[in-house]
Amino acid sequence: MESVDVVIVGSGAAGSLFAASLAQKGKKVAILEAGPERSMGDLVSSQIWSRRLKWGGPPTDSAGKDPLSVNFASGWGTGGSAMHHYANWFRLHPEDFEMKTRFERGLDWPFSYDELRPFYDRIQTEVGISGDAEKEVWRPAGAPYPMPPLQSFAQGALIARGFAKLGLRTSPLPMAINSVEYKGRAACVYDGWCDAGCPIFALANPLTLYLPQALKAGATLLHNSFVTRVLTRTAGDRATGVEYFDAEGRRQVQEASVVVLAAYAFQIPRLLLNSRPGGLANSSGLVGRYMMGHAGGNVFGLFKEDTQNYLGMTGGQLLSQESYAKDPAKGFLAASQWMIGNALKPNDLLGIVNARPDLFGNDLHEFLHTAGKHLATMTFLGEALPNPDNRLVLTSGKDRYGFPLARVTHDFGPDDIKCFDAGMKQGQDIFKAAGAYEVWAGGRVRIHTMGGAIMGRSPETSVTNGYGQAHDLPNLFVAGSSLFPTSGGVNPTFTIHALALRSAEYLAQNWSSLV
Amino acid sequence: MNSTEDSLAGEQSRRELLARMGTGLVAITVDTAFGQLTPARARARGAPLRNLDPAEGRTLEALGEVLLPGAAGAGIAHFVDDQLSRENPMLLLKYLDFTAAYTDFYKLGLAGLERVSQAKFRTSFPDLEPEQKMEIVREMSQKDPAAWTGPPAPLFFFVIRNDAVDVLYGTPQGFQKLGIPYMAHILPAQKW
Repeated sequence: MESVDVVIVGSGAAGSLFAASLAQKGKKVAILEAGPERSMGDLVSSQIWSRRLKWGGPPTDSAGKDPLSVNFASGWGTGGSAMHHYANWFRLHPEDFEMKTRFERGLDWPFSYDELRPFYDRIQTEVGISGDAEKEVWRPAGAPYPMPPLQSFAQGALIARGFAKLGLRTSPLPMAINSVEYKGRAACVYDGWCDAGCPIFALANPLTLYLPQALKAGATLLHNSFVTRVLTRTAGDRATGVEYFDAEGRRQVQEASVVVLAAYAFQIPRLLLNSRPGGLANSSGLVGRYMMGHAGGNVFGLFKEDTQNYLGMTGGQLLSQESYAKDPAKGFLAASQWMIGNALKPNDLLGIVNARPDLFGNDLHEFLHTAGKHLATMTFLGEALPNPDNRLVLTSGKDRYGFPLARVTHDFGPDDIKCFDAGMKQGQDIFKAAGAYEVWAGGRVRIHTMGGAIMGRSPETSVTNGYGQAHDLPNLFVAGSSLFPTSGGVNPTFTIHALALRSAEYLAQNWSSLV
Repeated sequence: MNSTEDSLAGEQSRRELLARMGTGLVAITVDTAFGQLTPARARARGAPLRNLDPAEGRTLEALGEVLLPGAAGAGIAHFVDDQLSRENPMLLLKYLDFTAAYTDFYKLGLAGLERVSQAKFRTSFPDLEPEQKMEIVREMSQKDPAAWTGPPAPLFFFVIRNDAVDVLYGTPQGFQKLGIPYMAHILPAQKW
């Protein structure tokens, strides 16, 4: 293969943005995507078919008391996991960047919110976010949203009634989904198929913006190209490219001046650990450590009213961050939020069927018929404190190319669990106040994946610097949620974009000193 | 221009892309000796299973029928069997991060169910009385029944229950039975 300036592993949120930014600056860019090619025409409106978009590569053994969700969270094919993400785009809050400094718990990011703020603002303008910055009273400082909020429906209004009765505020949910036509892309039609992938360009996935930009600027995108190792000089101090296996299972090498790892958060540490005995970029010993997932769960209620739960967005309609502020006086240190009024389908992991996983037989028929019209739900998202013992390691199992598989072990800590339990109690109180005639809470689940190659100021306590540049190899960059030193209490994709833009521009500006 | 660029070629092709996603494409079909059929049609025509043996298929249908009456006729066995032939199956089991072979999950779970049935009632599970089937299924929803082997019984219960809902209610026809608008992206202009 002809050598390129930059090879990017993964075509998802971070990889596509890196590719667009660098290709537009004249760099020769190659993207290697492990999964198959997908177009908008492949985003079939079906929860069954949507499973094709989820991870189909080598399995990861997920262990621990609170095993992280691997296949459901990861993507498979063009656009990676961002193809099936719900586009709930939040900014992390200033205190999320300074946990260690402010509370002597967790970790600090290597920069403050103010450093990332302009990148949030620029991404927001380029991609488009719908929301209401004034009503979102908890929102960190930043430019107002470029689009008005998305519509809300009966489910959102019913639940909001409960929040109001308890003196809790709600706002429209900020989403990278068009409420109106934006830059030539269509507006949302509120059919709730976000999880199956949005084929109408209303939801910002990599096919809507950054991959087309990258390809137009000359980047190449190879599918079915599974990267197995980062290749280096003998000393291991500079990357020379990557090794991958193509669709026919043939070993290939893509040489490059700079390597960017933008795969999902399970594959980045696995790739680094497989690249060299003891792990590449691992002088800190932290590759694979600090794996994190949000402590999530749903509260459910049945209402006499028609909740119209088939309308809206999978990610919800409304937001409440009344419990976001970290305050040790609560008895735990963790941020959290509610995403209110998720659009529902009858089947699938998050479908109506699993709101009551205990029911079967005619009871299940009856519940599905009732819940299809009267069920309402909201999703709790709680922070999980970073813990180095939550870790991904290699196992003795091998993938089809002969490289070790991974096991990831994850337990929530006491603060995470207390925060979750408080949330579930509050959620049920809210639903009762809203007038639901039957209220219950679902179990604790793991949402999103972060950590494994965290950024920081010191080579002793982190894998990369604040730009995702490996401390040990100046021409190796990590992108995506693997970098997060803390999880915050919000969905990660907006922050992934902001970090990727900041890092890609740093890389271009410092090109001559890096290659 | 490579094929991905073609697929991204712009707004003018958007409606063409959407037009390709009619409800016909959304339907679940299975590959059989008679060609592509819906799971229900494949069952009605007696299409042979390719991964499960006939006894396993019969047990799966019997379990599916307990979990969600109608699942057998909707073709749960043919749906699962067909998906087990695919490199990237569209079964809910995928989301549970089960790392062993999916076919083993089903075969071992069905064998476990049969073993429990024989130990408890000396009768094959499909031939049990309805109350006897309910007794076993109720127990496996909570814990491994005595004599159970294979994947954890509650996990097996969870997966087959979801397979049953997929095949009966996860389609446009299934949504219609529940009175839920399907609203595939091809339809909004007509529905909204």
